[in-house]
Amino acid sequence: MTFNITRSPSLLSPDRTFRAITLMAAVTTATILAIIFVVLALGSIPALTATSFLDFIGTNAGPIFGTVATALIAIVVAGPIGILAAIYLVEFAPKRLAVVLTFIVELIAAIPSVVFGLWAVNDLSIRLRDSVEWWIASTFGKFIPFLSEDSNNPAADSVFRAGFLVGIMIIPLVVALSREIIRAVPISLREGYIGIGATRWETIRHVVLPTARIGITGALMLALGRALGETIAVTMVIGGSNDVPGSLFQPGSTIATRIATTLPEANPDVKSVLIALGVILFFVSLGLSLAMRLAARQTAKITASVK
Amino acid sequence: MSSDEIIKTSTGMTTSHRTEQVSADKAADDAYPTSSKYALELNNVEAFYGTFRAVAGVSLKIAPKSVTAFIGPSGCGKSTLLRVLNRMHETLPGTSVKGQILLDGVDLYGPKVDPVRARCLVGMVFQKPNPFPTMSIFENVISGLRLAGVRSKSELESVAETSLRKAAIWDEVKDKLHQPGTSLSGGQQQRLCIARTIAVKPEIVLMDEPCSALDPLATLKVEELVRELAVDYTIVIVTHNMQQASRVSDTTAFFSMDEQRAGYLVEVDATSKIFTNPKESLTEGYIAGRFG
Amino acid sequence: MRLSALIATIAAIIPLIALIYFVIVRAIPWLDAELFVNNPLDKPSGISNAIFGSLQLTTAAILAVSPIGVLAAIYLNEYASPRVASWSELVIDVMLGVPSIVVGMFAFMVVVPQLGVSAGAGVVAIGILMLPIVVRTTQEVLRLVPSSVREASLALGVPVWKTVIFVVCRTAFSGILTAVILAYSRGLGETAPLLLTVRGTFAQNWLDFGTTMNALPLTIYSYSGAADSRTLGQAWAAALLLMVLALALNIVVRARTVNSRVA
Repeated sequence: MTFNITRSPSLLSPDRTFRAITLMAAVTTATILAIIFVVLALGSIPALTATSFLDFIGTNAGPIFGTVATALIAIVVAGPIGILAAIYLVEFAPKRLAVVLTFIVELIAAIPSVVFGLWAVNDLSIRLRDSVEWWIASTFGKFIPFLSEDSNNPAADSVFRAGFLVGIMIIPLVVALSREIIRAVPISLREGYIGIGATRWETIRHVVLPTARIGITGALMLALGRALGETIAVTMVIGGSNDVPGSLFQPGSTIATRIATTLPEANPDVKSVLIALGVILFFVSLGLSLAMRLAARQTAKITASVK
Repeated sequence: MSSDEIIKTSTGMTTSHRTEQVSADKAADDAYPTSSKYALELNNVEAFYGTFRAVAGVSLKIAPKSVTAFIGPSGCGKSTLLRVLNRMHETLPGTSVKGQILLDGVDLYGPKVDPVRARCLVGMVFQKPNPFPTMSIFENVISGLRLAGVRSKSELESVAETSLRKAAIWDEVKDKLHQPGTSLSGGQQQRLCIARTIAVKPEIVLMDEPCSALDPLATLKVEELVRELAVDYTIVIVTHNMQQASRVSDTTAFFSMDEQRAGYLVEVDATSKIFTNPKESLTEGYIAGRFG
Repeated sequence: MRLSALIATIAAIIPLIALIYFVIVRAIPWLDAELFVNNPLDKPSGISNAIFGSLQLTTAAILAVSPIGVLAAIYLNEYASPRVASWSELVIDVMLGVPSIVVGMFAFMVVVPQLGVSAGAGVVAIGILMLPIVVRTTQEVLRLVPSSVREASLALGVPVWKTVIFVVCRTAFSGILTAVILAYSRGLGETAPLLLTVRGTFAQNWLDFGTTMNALPLTIYSYSGAADSRTLGQAWAAALLLMVLALALNIVVRARTVNSRVA
């Protein structure tokens, strides 16, 4: 009996063909990203070479300020709430409840931002204006003009409201990331502390949080990056002013909203400026997400060395 | 004492052994008309992981339709050697093989040889039963055939039944052929894997510690099965269980590790001889349980 | 302390409840048959072109992008060396992080000059946003398939490509489907890139990707500040539809990941 175990001599064996097809798909994906980079870089060069960098920042101070302000407000809103909620879900909540609540929180991330915008325009905005904004303005507005408001004529849109809305929208992200980080703190660390008689909360404060601190900072940075890119909900709530507003409770704009509203009709110079702004946005967002990866790796190193 | 009695006393039980001892030097020539006397012939076979030599210079001849056991302490390349025999070793990156392996006189690693075809001829049963998770029992058994292009429903069904019968599991599953393969117990899953392996009609069936993940009762069933299968197939079984080797095999090859952590063949002989009167003192030491 | 954490959790959930409540309450009065069947220029007006526009855009994008994404994930998980695999993780991370407005800007710069303001440009934009989701999720699912499955298949004499397609992918199929659904759900909700590429229209342009098309998010956006109550009501209705779709798809995805056991 002889066996036929010789190979077919063709170069296009199914194995090689299939592998080549999948490789092409992978290369295509990477190429798309490369093309995006190249196109954006080329498009932004006219604007970036026309004036000095400082001048560029100066002329576009409005959107840049708005971007930073809304993102910061968003983090101030989402950070504490998100982290505390994550702590509750991981440390305190009974298992079943934690699963349900986590599920509900994560559903928020599934809702399209335009729906958030619609709700904000017709409902949240007014509530915020009448409650939180009014309170902050009347308490601090007298000596911090930045937080002032004309109580007879409060603005229809404001930077503050945009930031608050984005904050609400990124809470699930903060919660999800923080949960992962807190859960990754090894049990052995906690047990050590509980063993000497600490309460749950003391353990959290003295052991879990310090270990998780780097990771949580990274998580906040990622969330910040996400907040920076939020466009449509912000556009609906922030108004359309191109200047740096006198107060947080005045309308403003962000890089994203400027691009969204003015790019289609812009003349070539303005187009290039917008592209340049978009590139800046992209890189800042990228930097933040890379920072998060670094932070995650650092935390992993620390927790690994504990084991 | 005759070898039979020794085997009986060392295991404390009788099984349906063949009483004639077929040594590696005698072959059932008349029942197997091929170009070679041996089902498998290894000449100075070496296996590498990158630059690390895991198996050193193994030369060995395996008679057709016999059961050969590879025994020895952990880490001396038995499983690696097994995977060399069905060209699975090379699927890991950076690995290489030296030496010659003849399957019925045909060079398994010849330049024109298609490893995929080679693997059809040398089947393998793994340590942990691994039926395909999303497939039914029936689909599992015929998976090798179907993926080779066999479409005829009647052929698939008949092969399935034959293979499941040969694997001594037909009666247990004939009424639930379309239930998931993973719904069976561990021992049943392993017999299903054996059925799946023999469904593609290999010449040789390799078994890498097939019972180590099974409970004693399931182990016994599989061991019986191995003896039955030896009527039709040449079987090479790696095992850590010496009693199992003595129960199940005709020939035993004992491996050990040298100073560079490469595995090498210490001694190979008829099972009865190995377990009663081995030539090497190292073998004797292992058998007596002094190490490994 | 436990109390404050609990309050924070409730605070996190309140917006969701408020939003769902409002959308439902405001949308329900306007849910009639005409809404689904008529176009904005019919009397009474409807959002039919937005509904079908969204479906066309997102479906076209997912059909274009899924094969590339799944095949790329297969390459990265089954064939690529560890170095290539870790670099590609970075590439996918970067792609995931591109703000949707920037992707829209890219499509505006590259596709719109060719096709004009069109559905085609919108499909490109949404496709780029979906692609990394498909790749990443498929990769994770493929990774979950134990190596014993591949080994078993190879040992039977099945060639590598058949092993990958008919064994590995078959085992991971449910997960791959999840990846596609997840990406689809993201694509449905995107607005910003559409603002720059498709812009919306009052017409119903079936399967014509060379011209403008309407989409639910665009309708919501443009109608959101309307003074006319019917128009505003349609915005709420569109929002309800979009929200229900997005939530339904997400719940389906989560239910699958909880129930499926690969090995």
